[in-house]
Amino acid sequence: MIVLWVGMPLLSIIMHFFQPDMEDFPFSILVSIVLSTVGGTLASAMLSTSLTSEINQKVYNLFLIRPIKRYSILLSKFAAVYICLVIAIIISLSLGLLIDYFTIGELSVAFVLTLSESLAISLASIAISCSIGLLFGITISSVPVAAILSVYIGNQLSALSIIPTLFLEPLNPIIFALIIGVSIPPILIMISTILFIRKEF
Amino acid sequence: MVINSTNIDSFMEIYDKCLEESNFENLKFQNISKKFKSVTALKNVSFELNKGDILGYIGPNGAGKTTTIKIMVGLIKDFIGDYYINDVLFTKSVKSFINILGYHPQDAGFQAWRTVNHTLYTFGRLSGIEKEVLRERIQSILKFVELFEFKDKKIKYLSSGMVQKLRLAQALLNLPKILILDEPLSGLDPTSRFQIKSLIKFLAEKEITILFSSHILSDVEDVANKIGILNRGQILKIGTPNQLQEQFQVGKIIEIIYANHSSLCKDVKNIEEIEKVEINNNVKQFLYLRHDSDIDAVSHEILERIIQQKCHIRSFRVLRPSLENIYLKYISGDKI
Repeated sequence: MIVLWVGMPLLSIIMHFFQPDMEDFPFSILVSIVLSTVGGTLASAMLSTSLTSEINQKVYNLFLIRPIKRYSILLSKFAAVYICLVIAIIISLSLGLLIDYFTIGELSVAFVLTLSESLAISLASIAISCSIGLLFGITISSVPVAAILSVYIGNQLSALSIIPTLFLEPLNPIIFALIIGVSIPPILIMISTILFIRKEF
Repeated sequence: MVINSTNIDSFMEIYDKCLEESNFENLKFQNISKKFKSVTALKNVSFELNKGDILGYIGPNGAGKTTTIKIMVGLIKDFIGDYYINDVLFTKSVKSFINILGYHPQDAGFQAWRTVNHTLYTFGRLSGIEKEVLRERIQSILKFVELFEFKDKKIKYLSSGMVQKLRLAQALLNLPKILILDEPLSGLDPTSRFQIKSLIKFLAEKEITILFSSHILSDVEDVANKIGILNRGQILKIGTPNQLQEQFQVGKIIEIIYANHSSLCKDVKNIEEIEKVEINNNVKQFLYLRHDSDIDAVSHEILERIIQQKCHIRSFRVLRPSLENIYLKYISGDKI
């Protein structure tokens, strides 16, 4: 967790020093785009590998004999990784904004709007990646296979939050990302929960 | 290795209060069957555990011991048959019974990044124990299982013996009335085995109902007051150690050790009830009695002849079959 909260902002700073020549392109937007990709990959890999290895090591046997609902284990796992990544993104973006403020000066409305779009897309794509990680984490028993599949399919599916807005102009990217973010992950979480409840430990 | 009695007393004090309020009477397994795809793991398993029973549940690897236990603690919900606690169907009232059960799994892992204290705190909170009560209870349990000095150590740095003790500690967190121990001594060194066995004995003395599964017979022999022998998903025999020994004792044997070979009493073989006599090392005599013979009357007659012939003996005893003999006989499929 600490590694994520320190590592992702550090990545932002490194990006700034290695790509200084961006003319007027705001650095914070670049940070947001890169972080959504890195964050999504991290989210799906973290969730799938930890779930698969914990199921293999029979860690949940000791949780499931206690008076708690099975779905609460999955939801708390999802929430822990998602919230952790959102905090890391907020820290990194704040750092990016600070860098922009010192390099570009006062930030325009158009800039804030673009940044909001990037942020909405990031949050939606990370939510999709997390739910994909959850699904593969409980269905696949091999840790490497679960990691590879969840990273690959997670990345493909999370692109759903941005691709349609590139081709269909009337779509508002913020609203579309939010709709995708609150519709696909709950479906995937529900499927995962049903499978987890039916699973024999 | 000496077990600290102060640590045991302080934990038992807490446990005693809880046991006084206990409303557990009995647990019944009636014709329980379970299949995993085409494999039958359990077939019509039935037994009953009453308050204070300590059932040694023995059987070879793959006999169905863990499956039975997983059904008992609610990890396996899809099975055929009826399972009752206090005459109430367990599956219909899981929530009300789950906290009277303590489960020591055979091989369940822990989240390696947690400390010992953190792990027990999490399980305690999930079991619904109040924070203040829990903190105090964790301390006394950790002292009881002799893990207190490792309470801030991460699980990844614990030895397998310590992890086994932690499994026992988490099973005791909600002060269970029924303690289910799945191979609690497997993979341990002699010192850790002795320690955990001693702890189980302390618990057994407190009338806590215990189911103790093992494939190592000596582990259950001196703890259990009931033995269940399981093989290929079926209970072959269940009863007190005495009942099993009585049933098994088809051919009663008397062993006599003489002071020297010249004092060997040869006259005993003329006793009608004695079927066969075996002599070992010239000083040891094994007398095999007929199935229907009265052991007391025959013993009396043998001793009379020994005295009459002035044979010097060092020992005279009726051999009872060990749990190992009984187990092997049942598992190998011999009819008793």
